[in-house]
Amino acid sequence: MLNDNEFMRYSRQLLLEDIGMEGQEKIRAGKVLIVGLGGLGSPAALYLAAAGVGTLFLADDDTLHVSNLQRQILYRTADADDYKAKIAQRELGKLNPLCQTEIFTHRLDGGNLADLVARADLVLDCSDNMATRHAVNQACVEAEKPLISGSAVGFSGQLLVIEPPYAHGCYRCLYPDLDTPTRNCRTAGVLGPVVGVIGTLQALEAIKMLAGCASPLSGKLRLFDGKQQSWRTLQLAPSADCPACGEAR
Amino acid sequence: MKISVNDSDYAFDAAITLDELLRFLEHPQSGSALAVNQVIVPRPQWAEYLLKDGDNIVLFQAIAGG
Repeated sequence: MLNDNEFMRYSRQLLLEDIGMEGQEKIRAGKVLIVGLGGLGSPAALYLAAAGVGTLFLADDDTLHVSNLQRQILYRTADADDYKAKIAQRELGKLNPLCQTEIFTHRLDGGNLADLVARADLVLDCSDNMATRHAVNQACVEAEKPLISGSAVGFSGQLLVIEPPYAHGCYRCLYPDLDTPTRNCRTAGVLGPVVGVIGTLQALEAIKMLAGCASPLSGKLRLFDGKQQSWRTLQLAPSADCPACGEAR
Repeated sequence: MKISVNDSDYAFDAAITLDELLRFLEHPQSGSALAVNQVIVPRPQWAEYLLKDGDNIVLFQAIAGG
């Protein structure tokens, strides 16, 4: 049961037929791992904490740099040089004390990552490099945990939802290169609202999935062009002999 | 054969594969993904996937940033 405080705090989403009391209790019981607390992870974490997700695992080994503030809306100027995960824990605690957070300020390696993924109900990949994205995908496939993967650079964003039984493949089926030179925010630039849009949509899918609604994005990829304000939706497809999900299918 | 790639039209005398299309466009495979008529075609199929008249291709790059 929700208490009076929760009832008031979440009243606007409790009104929604697809959420309601039952959905809110599921959201409260939910554990979400957010890998990366930059431009994607900032809005994602804010919305998930605000919505009443019970536990957030917040992983980022980076400290705040003044050049992050243009898009990483969790942070304030005075926070520079602190660990992002520590600042995030403090800010999310102020936003919603009912949301528990556990922070990880070291880079997650194979074993740590697998343990954390196993404890989560679903995973948001908000990271900024290909190696981490492949490691997160692999850990999610092995633990059979849903993965909501977002990325952005320049005016472009990408969003995909991958779930067992991987009928439409996994992240590696789409991008088989483990270490390909890709443009990132540091080298190619990015606008704040572009990462904001994608991170926000990651949170939207997470809230719906925690509440028990199927994601219409499952097995699909959305491409966002922020310059043209256009979207494309593509159906993902499994790659034969995929080293990540081939055996799980 | 007429096809569209990222909303630009191209005409070819004969059917070509996705591999051949990338070579024609001088586009590297690494980091790239392709969809034909809104369905992703996994990389191992590119060498044999024969395009048809009217196919709508979306070619895009992996993005890692966040």
